Amino acid sequence: MSKPVILIVEDEENIAEFLRAGLSYEGYEALSTAEGSGCLALLEAKPVDLVLLDLMLPDLDGFEVCRLIRAKGLTLPILMLTAKKDISDRVTGLDLGADDYLTKPFNFDELLARIRALLRRSGKLERDTVLRAGDLTLDPRTRRVTKGSRPVKLTPREFGLLELFMRHPQRVFTRQTLLNRVWGYNYLGDSNIVDVHLSHLRAKIGDRPPRLIRTIYGVGYIFDPGGES
Amino acid sequence: MKTWRSLSLRVKLTVLYVGLLVLILLALGVTLYLDNQRFLLHSLATRVRAQAKPVIERHLFSPPPAPPLLGGDKPASPPLDIKRVAPLLARDLTSRDTGALVLDAEGKVLARGKRLPEEPEPPPPLAAYYRRALQGHKEVQYTTWFQGSHLLVILIPLETAPGSGRIVGVVQLSCPLSQIDRILFRQRLVLMVGIGVAALVGTLLGLLITGSTLKGLPRMVATCQAISQGDLSRRVGLSRRGDEIGRLSRAFDQMAERIQASFRAQKRLLANAAHELRTPLTALRGSLEVLLRGVQDDPAAAARLIQGMYRDSQRLSQLCERLLEISRLDAAANLDKRPLALAEFFTELLPQLRLLSRGQEVVLERGPETEILADRDLLTQVILNLFDNAAKYTPPRGEIRLGWREVPAGVELWVADQGPGIPSGELPRLFEPFVRGKTRAGEGAGLGLALVKAIVSAHGGRVSVQRPSGGGCIFSVILPLRGPAGQS
Repeated sequence: MSKPVILIVEDEENIAEFLRAGLSYEGYEALSTAEGSGCLALLEAKPVDLVLLDLMLPDLDGFEVCRLIRAKGLTLPILMLTAKKDISDRVTGLDLGADDYLTKPFNFDELLARIRALLRRSGKLERDTVLRAGDLTLDPRTRRVTKGSRPVKLTPREFGLLELFMRHPQRVFTRQTLLNRVWGYNYLGDSNIVDVHLSHLRAKIGDRPPRLIRTIYGVGYIFDPGGES
Repeated sequence: MKTWRSLSLRVKLTVLYVGLLVLILLALGVTLYLDNQRFLLHSLATRVRAQAKPVIERHLFSPPPAPPLLGGDKPASPPLDIKRVAPLLARDLTSRDTGALVLDAEGKVLARGKRLPEEPEPPPPLAAYYRRALQGHKEVQYTTWFQGSHLLVILIPLETAPGSGRIVGVVQLSCPLSQIDRILFRQRLVLMVGIGVAALVGTLLGLLITGSTLKGLPRMVATCQAISQGDLSRRVGLSRRGDEIGRLSRAFDQMAERIQASFRAQKRLLANAAHELRTPLTALRGSLEVLLRGVQDDPAAAARLIQGMYRDSQRLSQLCERLLEISRLDAAANLDKRPLALAEFFTELLPQLRLLSRGQEVVLERGPETEILADRDLLTQVILNLFDNAAKYTPPRGEIRLGWREVPAGVELWVADQGPGIPSGELPRLFEPFVRGKTRAGEGAGLGLALVKAIVSAHGGRVSVQRPSGGGCIFSVILPLRGPAGQS
């Protein structure tokens, strides 16, 4: 399946910038525009899978944009972003055809989760959330990992590492990024701990050369299922 | 004393009024009563004396008629023998309501007049009084209690001959005071009941009158309490009354109005500030999260995000600065006001304005040579802010005009741009902090005009904006002239 396309409609350049960077990093194709009219033009020019819509725009306000998108008969999911906290704003937004609502400042993980949920609902992401690589499967909902028919018992850190790799095949992760993502942003420790947990993980899933999880010297690690299949 | 202090004003006033009333009535009543008592006793005494006088004279000066002597010899009056005359005199002076005693010059009782049982028993003579009568005092009288009855005692000196001055004895007359006492008792009763009724009626009327006069006060108390508990919309609403209470109510309501308005402005400022802080904070937080998730591994993307974060932090600190400036001006207005010649002020400012302009023509329209009292640095900020605003919205080849002129209220400094104008919906809150034009051109937290307003208000002036028919808008600042003394 091709990369889902997300259109960011946000006039604050710095917010648009981090949304673009973050969403591209997470594997989406991120477009952005600062104006409501630009949003409508882009929707006609390109296939877009989801719109991230800021409420405060210089030309049209977010509600109006939302109404115009629906008036055109487009059914793509719209996620509204705003600094306003009033319930009446949320109700207006949802009534005008928005699918979800997030107030600024928001947590980026939550934004991603909501985007995934919206895309699953519109069929752009597979409903089956079980991750597979060769004879290795991982089910995030039951936290169960199997190698062939044999269940593998993993610690929470090992599970977190494996899930991250399997969600992002072919991506190079530095030790620091792995620490941030699996141990948390507040973890202040030596990144060598990543190597220790990875060697345990490799042993448990029987990862022998050519490995699924490869070391890239001086940089970090990459999950490369193509090597085996 | 504590209970007195805790009494309501209404009760206190009434108690004071009624107390005063009772005091005055009491003084008046007692005076009248005493006067009346004196008059009654005096008239009784006068009557008794008048009745006794002829009897005494008859007995003393005209002895019982001796057999008339023939011949022309005038009979020599015999020497007065008081002992001989006394019994008859006493007997004649005694009646049903008068007792009589005759005393000799030493105070010894010579005769008492009582014969019949219904005649009153005369009280024993009192030395203090009859001595004075013996010394020649003709009006000696006193009251006394004897055998259970209240008596008036009258002493009449007996002379050997009318006007002779030689006193040989004293007649003591006594009559009961029961009738006078009854009259006086009734008077006392009327007085006490009258004062009591007056006090009662006074209390009721006083409570009623002070109550209606002070009616506003409980309402004011209730309003104050409601306001202090946070309901700033409450008013007393007695402003139609013309008295002090009405004026107090009016002044109070005006104060409450102003407090509410400034409270609202404060709340809006806070809400707007929080809202305005949220945008750079969202960007900062989001950028950080995205970097930590892994974008830090991509140097180009990371650099862009970090630059954005730097801009956000700059914006946040600028916001703080401006807010502080505004709150400083709102608080005390420590102005360094000095005489300022407007012509010179604008001439010096003009090169700086040309630098700030974004390609627009800057035209200065000079007004009359005028001096105002102002803080030069702050007024410079006002003009720079207004000009910067004008430069933002005027197209590059347009024209920005500014100048000053005299108006009835003082001096008007104005800046006219050729921008798109301001939608009427944005006009009312244009000068409030964080309100930005929807057609915003470039950066700015929306605090410039708020700062202008704060500075101008601190100078006792006001800002306004007009939308001329030709488009664009004119911001004008009206500052009061120097006082009349300084104008010469």
